[in-house]
Amino acid sequence: MPDKPNLRSTAKAFVYLAPALLVLGTFTIYPIVESFLLSFYTDYDYFHDRVYRLGFDNYLYLLKDPEFHLALRNTAVFVIGVVPISIALSLGIALMLYRPIPLRSFFRTVYFLPTVTSVVAVAVVWRWIFHSDYGLLNFGLGLLGIQPVRWLTDPRWALPALILFAIWKSLGYNIVLFLAGLSNIPETYHLAARLDRAGPWRRFWSITFPLLWPTTFFVSIVSIIGAFKVFDEVYALFGGSPGPLSSALTLVYYIFVKFYREQDYAVASAAAYVLFLITFLLTVIQLWIGRKRTAV
Amino acid sequence: MIMIRRIRFVLALGLILVAAACGKPETTPPAPAGSDKSAPSSAADETDDAAFPTRLRGPVEITFWHAMTGHHEEALKAIADRFMAEHPDIRIKLVGQGNYGDLQEKLTAAAKSKTLPVMAQVIETWVTDYQQNGLVQDLTPYIEHPEIGWTKEELEDIIPVFREANRWDGRFFSLPFSKSTQILYYNTDLFQERGVEVPKTWDELRQAAEKLTFERNGKKVIGIGFENSVGWQFHMWVRQAGGRYIDEATGTVLFDSPEGRQALDFIAGLFKDKIARLAGEDQYMSNPFGRGDVAMYIGSSAGIPFVAKAAEGNIHWAAAAVPAGAKRAVPFAGNAVAVFDSATPEEKLAAWLFIKTLLNTDNTAYWARETGYLPIRRSALESPIWKDFVKDHPANGVGTEQFDAGFFDPRIPGFDAAMKIVQKEIEAVLLGEKAPGAALPDAAAKAQAEIDRAKARSRE
Amino acid sequence: MIRDALSRGTILFLLSLGAALMLLPFAWMISTSLKAPNEVMLMPPKWMPSEWHWDNYVRALTMAPFGRYFLNSVLVTALSTLGELITTILAAYAFARLSFWGRDFLFSLLLGTMMVPGEVLLVPNYVTLARLGWIDRYEALIIPWTASVFAIFLLRQHFLFVPKELGYAARVDGAGDFRFLWTIMVPIVRPAIVTIVVLKAIGSWNAFLWPLIVTNSREMRTLPVGLTAFTTEAGTAYELLMAASAFVIVPMIVLYLLLQRSIVEGLARTGIKG
Repeated sequence: MPDKPNLRSTAKAFVYLAPALLVLGTFTIYPIVESFLLSFYTDYDYFHDRVYRLGFDNYLYLLKDPEFHLALRNTAVFVIGVVPISIALSLGIALMLYRPIPLRSFFRTVYFLPTVTSVVAVAVVWRWIFHSDYGLLNFGLGLLGIQPVRWLTDPRWALPALILFAIWKSLGYNIVLFLAGLSNIPETYHLAARLDRAGPWRRFWSITFPLLWPTTFFVSIVSIIGAFKVFDEVYALFGGSPGPLSSALTLVYYIFVKFYREQDYAVASAAAYVLFLITFLLTVIQLWIGRKRTAV
Repeated sequence: MIMIRRIRFVLALGLILVAAACGKPETTPPAPAGSDKSAPSSAADETDDAAFPTRLRGPVEITFWHAMTGHHEEALKAIADRFMAEHPDIRIKLVGQGNYGDLQEKLTAAAKSKTLPVMAQVIETWVTDYQQNGLVQDLTPYIEHPEIGWTKEELEDIIPVFREANRWDGRFFSLPFSKSTQILYYNTDLFQERGVEVPKTWDELRQAAEKLTFERNGKKVIGIGFENSVGWQFHMWVRQAGGRYIDEATGTVLFDSPEGRQALDFIAGLFKDKIARLAGEDQYMSNPFGRGDVAMYIGSSAGIPFVAKAAEGNIHWAAAAVPAGAKRAVPFAGNAVAVFDSATPEEKLAAWLFIKTLLNTDNTAYWARETGYLPIRRSALESPIWKDFVKDHPANGVGTEQFDAGFFDPRIPGFDAAMKIVQKEIEAVLLGEKAPGAALPDAAAKAQAEIDRAKARSRE
Repeated sequence: MIRDALSRGTILFLLSLGAALMLLPFAWMISTSLKAPNEVMLMPPKWMPSEWHWDNYVRALTMAPFGRYFLNSVLVTALSTLGELITTILAAYAFARLSFWGRDFLFSLLLGTMMVPGEVLLVPNYVTLARLGWIDRYEALIIPWTASVFAIFLLRQHFLFVPKELGYAARVDGAGDFRFLWTIMVPIVRPAIVTIVVLKAIGSWNAFLWPLIVTNSREMRTLPVGLTAFTTEAGTAYELLMAASAFVIVPMIVLYLLLQRSIVEGLARTGIKG
């Protein structure tokens, strides 16, 4: 194996790389750049590849478009509604599942089930559960003496319904990540703490939680980024609409509407780059805090 | 945890590289300088009137995009199959595109990507836009052709409200295919039980809804229902109140008027008093109506088969003419067929021959009988197929009694966008999120803006 | 920790409660899918159908071309997985074992693209496919998905852990790189390859937005797209809707139960959702 690259070895390597590069070049790298440029086209005929004017109009349009603001706000509410609850619940369940307990593998299987199923298919089931007159959920609430809620047709309840569904769907995946994180904590710490007669809660807060911090942080970033991109859930839960009065319009749904329903490619690209900017910033923050933590 | 660290490393690298990648926009291929900037549109169409072939020289396949599903789709297929048996050199490829919204999106996208089919089901309000962009074929030369066209009688046999809806400055860019109107569906069991007569005026409608809203065995019955797309029905209510909606010639929005306000207040009042509901998650009113959850509703006559199916084994029902307000006014809507200009002359000819068959007296009667749409020809109303059918299915005949009060939506660019806004504002009113007094001027102003924008765009 | 704080019984109770909530939608789906239409809308709801209507499945599956949707999903999943596997193995090998000019730059460039959300690619890719004339064809559903930076990265890491000496030994035996890759390297990293295949298969089977956009005709729909279209076609015949949903969900559940370990480990390893 030659250690120094030469023309021959480079040519050979590119034969190996060619299939992947062809696909990635066409469908990943080119569109990233193209989409970025497109977001600055203000007067254009995209199918004939003609651009008459460039500028920031599309971003300014987003800045002024009340629908876009609504989408941003809804997405933020969705992220705030889903991520903390999902993380707290999945951490709790992971802690319970971590050590031997009867039926452990059964529980793991069950909790993970929603994660592998098609969002769209299972959303059809949830739509039925959320039905205001004949849904299981309202029936259950009725047993508790709570008035039926119009989950999917009341603009105030559409987002909570979406959040509930998303938490259910995301738990399993987060549990698996937490279990992986927990198995990396050396047993000796706990033994030492036990010798010091530290109580269970103290042991959790002073050992498990800090040592699990990288995992927790990682899970939250992955969840936040994932939640920012929510689309399938909305489309399927509200039958191809963004909910009553657009009350469940999310960022990606907005992009979808602009691109697919209104053929406004430039604004769709600009909105997609706003999404990119958000996920990018989140990643930067993660790197920054992550580094700080390891330094401590 | 190793994996996680690795991924962080990846992301760190990514930061640098994305920044680097974005800094080099020259990697995009240069845009080829096109030459067809000023594509010929309407001017060319008129010159080739005489030039089109009237006989096929070989086998032709034509793609027909439609929005029919279930039994409707089967009936359409049956007509196409019969046609193909008579014309062995023409193959009709039917492509279902989901609902009308999907169809419209696909057509718009296809127009942009130059992948339009030969023909499609269209709604007349879309056609103005298509015509202005030179996308649709003018069918007048085919209709008037002495050999392959229609006779004057055949053309005039088409019911006027349908014919005029497809004529632009005397030229046909589409032809009426599946036509429907609004009718009043009512649950005869509940009407009998509560002692309610079929309402004929707004006041009677309201009183009926009040009487029909009640609770039975813990199950709530609501007096009157509206489709989720109630905004599209608003035109009817405004006309019934004696007002005007949107002027087709000038594109001026006129519904922010005392009559418009009266219409909106009337509907909103029903919701406010909880004697009306939307279809909501039941999607279409036929579903809750068929279950007996709603005692009556005003909806499209195209929904008859769906009502019949949903009601089967649950309730008894009938249909009647829509009650009148200050005036009688009933919309005739539905869809038409159009041929796209991008098709080859041979394909266009084959499409015309198919349209001629699709819209003949027998087929329009057959189509109406199978789907619940209205026949588009007077001769079909007299045909035995239709007469026998209406005898057994009186609901299907209701629509034909309203031709004299018929109107159709203005066919102007931006109409659909304007209707989306009207829909949104009205929905906000009915859900109690906005006051009618605020919603009506908002809807009018925003609808006007959409129409003006569309007008400006098509002038470019 | 929690184990000591809470009694074993409490933990079991809490876990069972959670598991019941997780399973409830699935159970309700199956229960509804077997009911007669007039039982579906009963209040209070009935858990057990008084008669088992297996014919609901037949009715739902014949109302829309689910057989075709299913075949499309199988075909798209199989071919895009196979394609990704081939491009990934070749590219990962090049990055791990071959030396060439610009290697580190190229590798980092590819990793950089992982940061960009897929939504950014939507518009240009749609236009590219329209220009290629691939809209509403299998090519559009498969080819853009036959390479993945993440898979290349994952496999490269595993290739790096294979001792270099193995390569030298093979060279002495006269085996070229290509043969060495497929006969020695690939079998060694089998677990990683299984992970890639399983993740790809799940992602591809459940994919929705992309197939929704690039297909027009019913004949080209995959199961998730066909199912959403069916929700309008079936109206509120919930027993049929539930039967159709079960038809989409069950194959993945079976696959999951069979390959549980590699799926869970695979996902734990990625930290990146579909």
